Amino acid sequence: MPRQQIFTKILVGCHVVNVTKEQKGNLLAIRLVGSIEETVNFDDLLGVPSGDIEINCKEIPRINSVGVKAWIKYFQGCQAKGIKISFIECSTAIVEQINLISNFTCGGSVESIFVPFSCTQCKSELVGLFKTEDLKKMELKIPDLKCSKCGNKAVFDDIPEEFFGFLVR
Amino acid sequence: MANTLLLISSLPEDKIFATEIALTTGLSLRQVAEPTEGASILANEDAPIVFADVSSERLYQQFEDAIQEKVGLFSDKTNSNRIHLLSSEDLVAVPYLIKSPLFGHYIMRNYPNPQTAGQHYGRIVKATLADRPFGLSRLLKPGCKTQVIKLNLSSQKHSAVEAVKAYLLTAKFQSRMATVIANAVDELLMNAMFDAPVDDLGKATLNSTPRSNILHLEGKSAVEMHVGFDGEYVGISAIDFYGSLDKVKLLSHISKIYAKEEYKIRTAVAGAGIGLATVFRSGGSFFFVSENRTQTEVVVFFKKTDNFREFKDQFRFISTQFYF
Repeated sequence: MPRQQIFTKILVGCHVVNVTKEQKGNLLAIRLVGSIEETVNFDDLLGVPSGDIEINCKEIPRINSVGVKAWIKYFQGCQAKGIKISFIECSTAIVEQINLISNFTCGGSVESIFVPFSCTQCKSELVGLFKTEDLKKMELKIPDLKCSKCGNKAVFDDIPEEFFGFLVR
Repeated sequence: MANTLLLISSLPEDKIFATEIALTTGLSLRQVAEPTEGASILANEDAPIVFADVSSERLYQQFEDAIQEKVGLFSDKTNSNRIHLLSSEDLVAVPYLIKSPLFGHYIMRNYPNPQTAGQHYGRIVKATLADRPFGLSRLLKPGCKTQVIKLNLSSQKHSAVEAVKAYLLTAKFQSRMATVIANAVDELLMNAMFDAPVDDLGKATLNSTPRSNILHLEGKSAVEMHVGFDGEYVGISAIDFYGSLDKVKLLSHISKIYAKEEYKIRTAVAGAGIGLATVFRSGGSFFFVSENRTQTEVVVFFKKTDNFREFKDQFRFISTQFYF
């Protein structure tokens, strides 16, 4: 089946949320780009999915409280319709919400997340993409990375029990 | 005795913390270990500021009982604006403090350094000794410049938030810290725009208005944001001119977490009710000052740290000052 890509650019107030949709068989792959705020209307943005959905959250830098409410309302609607939801490449902002709000994922699975690192020398911020099933096996022992800027050691930069809290919930 | 800062605690770190506050405020520190002893001092003399170690429910109850017996819970001497409660426990673990009639200020005793924490908090305490502690500049280090941003339309919030983020990045905050602080500003401004407005009877007028509606922020509905960074702490305030902040609602919202129980969507109100709690959980401290029917100023503080782990786990407090 040919892949169909639909690009939507919604101008909301003075900020833009970009959406890319790609149909992969029965799965609708959605990529959200931009801050999720009160001006984001998920019904207008994403419509009613006909099959399973996969949300790429890599480029959601920020979500405010009203954005969280809208998010839960929309995905709870999907959950109620029996749509299988999966979240991939979750940004640190999304991981924080997953940890803070037990039903943020509305029954969906979290497949992969970006883990924050900080270089011990040049203090650069880095992120590493990890599959959640691999993280579970690591038992909060996150391996150090090599800083892409100075080559020195970069260590996990958050509170493990909090950042990975959702994995043991 | 009216110049006394009374500390009811036997912990050495509390003494270091309170000593710095006494220095900043010009008050004389007097330390006692037992709540009954502290209550006796309050009954017979006067102390404009009281710090009490209430690390456990038992300690808190001893403090409340002693105050009840010797002074009275609703005496001017125990006005909650004067009471600073110290605890090692996170806010969610101390529901007895949230419900306390003595709750004025809550300090989470996770000071990496009680001396520097005392210097920062000392400025808050000093401000509370003034007639009306409005104004951001007095809460930051002396000489710190603050910028004022007046919003004319609610739709300018996004630009204001992004401007704060850009300012923090220029000040060399990690981008993740800048994003967290920007989100805090977003919540403060949204509350000032949509939750503060009340009618003559004190009933909220916009709490069911969609937050995406564009409001004209003029006259009584004006909203200001002040921003300052003193090299250690960034302070950002949102100001409204309704003076409608409700302490019970505020404490209920800020102490609520949904990590275990489900967040249930309330359709009767447009707000989410989770913004302030998220800010506190992300490392932010609050100073709320509200003069009934006149003005509310909500200040959030974040310390600039070397890494995000320290940022999230920084010394924190929730300080409230209400005037009727």
